[in-house]
Amino acid sequence: MNADKPNLPKTVGVWNRLEPPRIINSKNIFKYMNGAGELYLGYRFRHLEVFDYTSADQGNILVELYFMESPDDAFGLLSLDWGGESVSFDGAPEAISTRFYTAANRALYGGGLLRLWSNYIYARIMAERETPSSKDAVFALGKAIATGTQYPPEPALVQLLPLEIDDVWKLRADRLSFFRSHLVLNSIYYLSHENILDLDLSAEAVIAPYQYISDSGDPKRSQFLLVQYENRERARQALNRFHDAYLPGHKKEKTAETAAGSPSLFKLEDGWMAYKLIGKHIVIVFESPDPESALAILQKNESNLLKKGGGS
Amino acid sequence: MKDKMPVLTRRDFIRGTVGVSLGASVFGLQWPKEEARAAGSSLVTVVRDKNAMDSAKNIDITVLEKMLVETLTRVTGQKNTKDAWLSLVKPNDVIGLVPTDHLNPTHDEVVDVVKNSLVDAGIPEDRIRDAQGPRNAKKCDALIAIPGLKAHWLTGIGTVLKNYIMYSGSPSSYHQSNSAKLGEIWNLPFVKGKTKLVLVDSLYPLCDKGPQPDPRYQWNYNGFIAGTDPVAVETVCLKIITEKRKVIRGESWPLSPPPICVEAADKVYGLGTSRMDQIQIKHSGWDHELLL
Repeated sequence: MNADKPNLPKTVGVWNRLEPPRIINSKNIFKYMNGAGELYLGYRFRHLEVFDYTSADQGNILVELYFMESPDDAFGLLSLDWGGESVSFDGAPEAISTRFYTAANRALYGGGLLRLWSNYIYARIMAERETPSSKDAVFALGKAIATGTQYPPEPALVQLLPLEIDDVWKLRADRLSFFRSHLVLNSIYYLSHENILDLDLSAEAVIAPYQYISDSGDPKRSQFLLVQYENRERARQALNRFHDAYLPGHKKEKTAETAAGSPSLFKLEDGWMAYKLIGKHIVIVFESPDPESALAILQKNESNLLKKGGGS
Repeated sequence: MKDKMPVLTRRDFIRGTVGVSLGASVFGLQWPKEEARAAGSSLVTVVRDKNAMDSAKNIDITVLEKMLVETLTRVTGQKNTKDAWLSLVKPNDVIGLVPTDHLNPTHDEVVDVVKNSLVDAGIPEDRIRDAQGPRNAKKCDALIAIPGLKAHWLTGIGTVLKNYIMYSGSPSSYHQSNSAKLGEIWNLPFVKGKTKLVLVDSLYPLCDKGPQPDPRYQWNYNGFIAGTDPVAVETVCLKIITEKRKVIRGESWPLSPPPICVEAADKVYGLGTSRMDQIQIKHSGWDHELLL
C-alpha cells in the first residue's frame, strides 16, 4: 500500500522529474496559490507535494498531491466537479460500491488535466500541452498514484442521500458535492457571503439537486443540503443563525429549539423552502416548486438519516 | 434583535435588493439610488481574429499587432496607432503596464505587443514599466490595465477590477463580501485617474473554477476587449463568461459567488457603468461564438 507516499517514476515518456518536490503547507499555500489557498484549507489539509516533469519540446507536466486528514476530505475536493472522462486504473477492486455515481468515478480527465481521489490523497496532474503522448504520461502518473492504494467508500453523509424520491425526484449525483466550508459552499451554491450556517472544519456537509422531468419536458429542480455538526447544540445554534440571516421577517413557526416535529416551511421568491433540525443535523430544501415536493424530499432524507442512527 | 445588520444572501439577488443589503452590511452607508458618475454611454470594443491563437496555443504576433491597431483606433476614434496612444497618454508620462500574473495570466506576447506599440508611437522605452505589484503604480503617471479574462472562485469574476488588488497592500481583505470593495482600490490616491486604457487579454479565457485553471473551462476566444471605462469593460467580460457557462452546461450556470464588485464599482465608487444598456459594444473580426 502506497497511499501515504506514492512512488512517482523519475521518467515518464519524454518527461523527466525534477528533484526535489516542492512541499507546501498551510502557511505557504497562499504564496503557492497566489493568495487563493482557501479552497484547500476549507478541507482538512495536511500538506501538498508538487512535482514538476519537464521535457525538451513537449511542455511540462505538473503533479500536485494534496495529502488530506481523511479520505472524506480528498473525496470532497474531487466532488467539486464530476465533469470529464471517467478513468479506471487496473487494480481497483470490484468490491467498490456502485450504488452511487460517485463510487465509479475516482479519476476524471479532461483537457490535459487528470483529477484523482486516492484514499487520503487528492491529486491534480496537468499537462501543459494536451497531446496523445502527454495524455499517456498523465495516465501513467495517475496509475502510479493509485497503484496499491485503498478504496474507501464515499463519506457516510453522502451515502445517506436517496437516489430517488417517490419515483419522481432523482438525485443529480453529478452535481453532488461534499464540503466543510462556507466559501466552498458559495462556490457551488451561493447562500450568503457570511457564514450563516456556522460551517467550519468540524462540520460535514453534502449538497445536491434533486430533479424531475415533467410531462412537458421542463426540468424542475430542488436543491438539497444536509449538514452534520459536532453536536446537537451546535446544529441548533447554526439553524437559528441561518433563520435569522436568511429568513428575516419570517416567523419561526417551528423554532430550531422545537423543530423535532414537522419541518418548517416557507414560500420564498425562488420557490418553497423547508428545513428541519434532526439531532446534530440540519436538513434544508431550497427552490422546490411546491410545498409537497419540499416536504417529500426533506422527509425521505430524514427517514434515511434516522435509519442510520443519525437522529441522535 | 431589531438593530441587527442585514446579511447579504441569495434572496437579495433574486429580489433585486443587493444594494440595500450591501449598503448596510458592507459599506456602512446607503447604496446610492443613482450611479455616482454622470450617466452616459461607454464604448467597449471587442476585436477578434480566429488566427490569433491556434488550438495548440501558439500565438501569431502579427495578428495580435493588427488586433491592437484595430482596438486602439476604435477606442479612441483616431486614425492611427500613434495618434491613438497620444490621445490617451502624454509623451513624457511614465507608463505602467499592469498584466495579471496568476490564474490564467496575461500572455507575455500581449504585453510585448502593447509595449512595442507604445515605443513605435514615440514613448521612450525606459518610460514604460511593469506596474503589477504592491507599490509599482506610485511611480507611474499612466496605467494600462492588461488583465486576463477569467472567473474567480472567491469573487465571481477576477478580471478588470481585481487586477489592481495588489495595490491595496492587503489582498486577502478583499475576499468574501469585501470583494464588493474592490472598486475602492481604483480610487486610492496613487491609482485614481491614472488608468488610460483597459485591454483585456481574452485570447484564452477561463470561465470557471480555480484557484488553479482547469483547461476544460478555457477556450479560444481569440479577442481583445477594451475601453476606457473599467466597469463597462468588466461588464462585457462578465457577459461573455456567463454566456460561455450556459453553452458548456446547456443550462443556466450562474457564477457562484455572484460578482458583487461590478455593480458596486459603478454605484458606490463611480468608476463607470455596469448597465449593459449604457454600454456601446463595437465588435469587429471573427464572430464565431461571440457570446454577446
